[in-house]
Order: sequence, then structure tokens, then C-alpha cells
Amino acid sequence: MSATPPRFDDLVAADDPARERLLAAHELLIAAGPQPELPPELAVAPVPPGARVVPFARRRFTAVGAVAIAATVLLAIGYVVGGRNAPGAPVQTITMKGANAAEATIDVLAQDAAGNWPMTFSVSGLPVLPKGSTYTLWLTKDGKLAESCGSFVVAGGTTEVPLNAPYRLKTFDGWVVVKTGTTQPLLTESA
Amino acid sequence: MATVLSPRLHARARPATITTVSASEVTDGTLIEQIAAGERSAFEELYHRYARSVLGLALRRIGDRGRAEDSVQDVFAAVWRSAASYDRKRGPGGAWLYTIARNAIVDAQRRKPAPTMADPPEVVSTDLAPDEEAEASWNSWRVHRALETLPENERSVIALAYFSGLSQSEIAAFLQIPLGTVKTRTRSGLARLADTLEGEL
Repeated sequence: MSATPPRFDDLVAADDPARERLLAAHELLIAAGPQPELPPELAVAPVPPGARVVPFARRRFTAVGAVAIAATVLLAIGYVVGGRNAPGAPVQTITMKGANAAEATIDVLAQDAAGNWPMTFSVSGLPVLPKGSTYTLWLTKDGKLAESCGSFVVAGGTTEVPLNAPYRLKTFDGWVVVKTGTTQPLLTESA
Repeated sequence: MATVLSPRLHARARPATITTVSASEVTDGTLIEQIAAGERSAFEELYHRYARSVLGLALRRIGDRGRAEDSVQDVFAAVWRSAASYDRKRGPGGAWLYTIARNAIVDAQRRKPAPTMADPPEVVSTDLAPDEEAEASWNSWRVHRALETLPENERSVIALAYFSGLSQSEIAAFLQIPLGTVKTRTRSGLARLADTLEGEL
């Protein structure tokens, strides 16, 4: 499922005086291939061995802790009062971003009795693909595409499509959108 | 409600490959010297520059994804311990780091034997001979480092063309720039890469 490399002749004119050097760079790029995505566990630099860990000041901890507790209480009140059983309400919302302000939202709905996680996928900013080409939403595991949640096309503006993940979601570690048949993410989860 | 799913799904963030950070003015060698002086921020910067390259190198050499990920931490622990041995007169920081990484990965392989066949690893297979594999690893290392020195507008079109499989027209639509601009940036990016990798071409 690797990406098809571009044809050199489509990139560089036949009479380009630097053609030979450019071809060498082109071939090195193809040979190098994409780098693997880091899993979440490796997203942050490890603590160097023997490095001194500066403890969080107790006074600041107390203040931050109080704010956190207050926020948790307010969240709990909102949860109880604010319709935890609202039908069709998402149980989790994942936001995704890509180049040139492309973005998407996955509203994961409650799991059905059969084990499906229905979801509403809303996306904007991806280019309209030629007829026959599609995008695919994938669940990832260990930095690799693991299970497809369905394919879609876009037509400008915002596109909203129902998709489904008939999997145990907790066994995966992320979501990406790729052009179908390739592995390089065009949209990834945002913080 | 978010606890219905894995907290990791909710909490983590992974930067898109096509939006990698732009090249810093601080050289790798300077960062390594700062690490030797115990500067944690330099260690983190070097980690962000090279973690994916190290993982790629480990995957090529080890094959198994899980063990390769484990070895990334081993490599950067070795970088922290060995930074004082770096001498910029003997070469650029990236080459030093490659050597440290390669040796640490080999050491990690020796310390942690491969899983038994009852628990087969997730292997990335290659058909290259060991010397070809070593050359391919080094080329990949240098190409990706060179890519990060490109201006963002050139790096993004190169990454989309070579690693995302988008055609020039699709890149133009994706980035909302004229097709001619995509072609110009691609050619310019290739030329800059050729300059950076001149010693290898």
C-alpha cells in the first residue's frame, strides 16, 4: 500500500540543464521512502538517564490541584444535569487537522448492541479528487494503518458522511485520513 | 463521557508528516555540545529532529516494530551518555548521531533476543544484502534530514508528491496554489536537496 512515486518526466523538463542532478535527488527520495510515524509513547523525548527531575512546586501544585478539583466537580454537575442520555449525542469527539487548514471532526456515537461504533465524519479543506479516487479514514496502531472505517469523497465546502468502526476502539491508538491506496496521513488528530 | 474510549485516543496528538517543523538555525552539532553540558532542552530538540529517523533506522535493522520502538529510547539514552565524545572537527552532528544510533541499536539487539516463533514479531522485510541495507539506511537518514532543511513550501510539495502519492494537480488543489507553482516548488526542492546531498550524488 505504498504511495506511487511521481514520474520524473512529469516533474522536470526534458531540456532542464540540471536534469541529471535532479534525477539523482528524485531517486534518493524514492529509495528513502516515508519515515515511520512515531507512536504516542515516543511523541515526547524520554527523560535522559541521570537527569535531575525538578519537582513541581508544592504551592503551585496546591493551586493547580484546587482548580482541577473545581473543574472536575463542575464537569460532573454538567454531566448529570446536561443530558447524559441524550439520544444521538457523541460519546467522543476527535478533531483532525492537515495542511492548508484542512480539518475534520469525528463524532463517535454510542456503541450498538452488535458492537458497531457509528460515527459522523465532517471534513473540509481536502482537495476534490479525480473520479474514482477516494479518501479513507483509518484507525492506527503502533503508527501504522490498522483498520479502515470507510471511504469518502469530497466536493468542496464541508462534507458530512456517516462512517462506522466495528472494532474494539481501545485497541487502537489514533485516527488518520489518507488518500485511498497510500499510507501518508493527510489529516491527523490534533491536540 | 470521553472515558468510553481509550484515553490515549483522546489525549494524544501526533503531528502530521506534511507539517513538520521548519529547520532550526541551531545545528545538530551545537545541540550535541549543549547536551554534553547537560542541557535538557537541547536533548528534546535533538529528539524531535531525529526520533522518526532513529525509529526508521531501527525498523530497517531489527524489523520488528515493538523492539524497534524500544530501541529508540536506548539510542537517545546513548546520545545523552556519549554527547561529550562528539567533536565537530571530525564531522557534522547528524553523522555522529547516526553512528551512535546504529551502535546502540546493534547493542539493543544483542541484549534483547528476538521473540520465539511462538510469538512472531511484526517484521518489516527487506530483500537487501547487509551492505546494501546499511547504505540504504544511511541514504534514508540523510535524505530525511536534508528534507527538513528545505523551506516549508518546498518540503510540503515534495512530501505530498513522494510520500502521500498525490499528483501535481492534486497537490495544487490541496494547497490551493496554481499547478505551475507546484511544479516550480518541486523542481526547486529537488535542486536544493541535490545541493545538500551533493557529496552523495
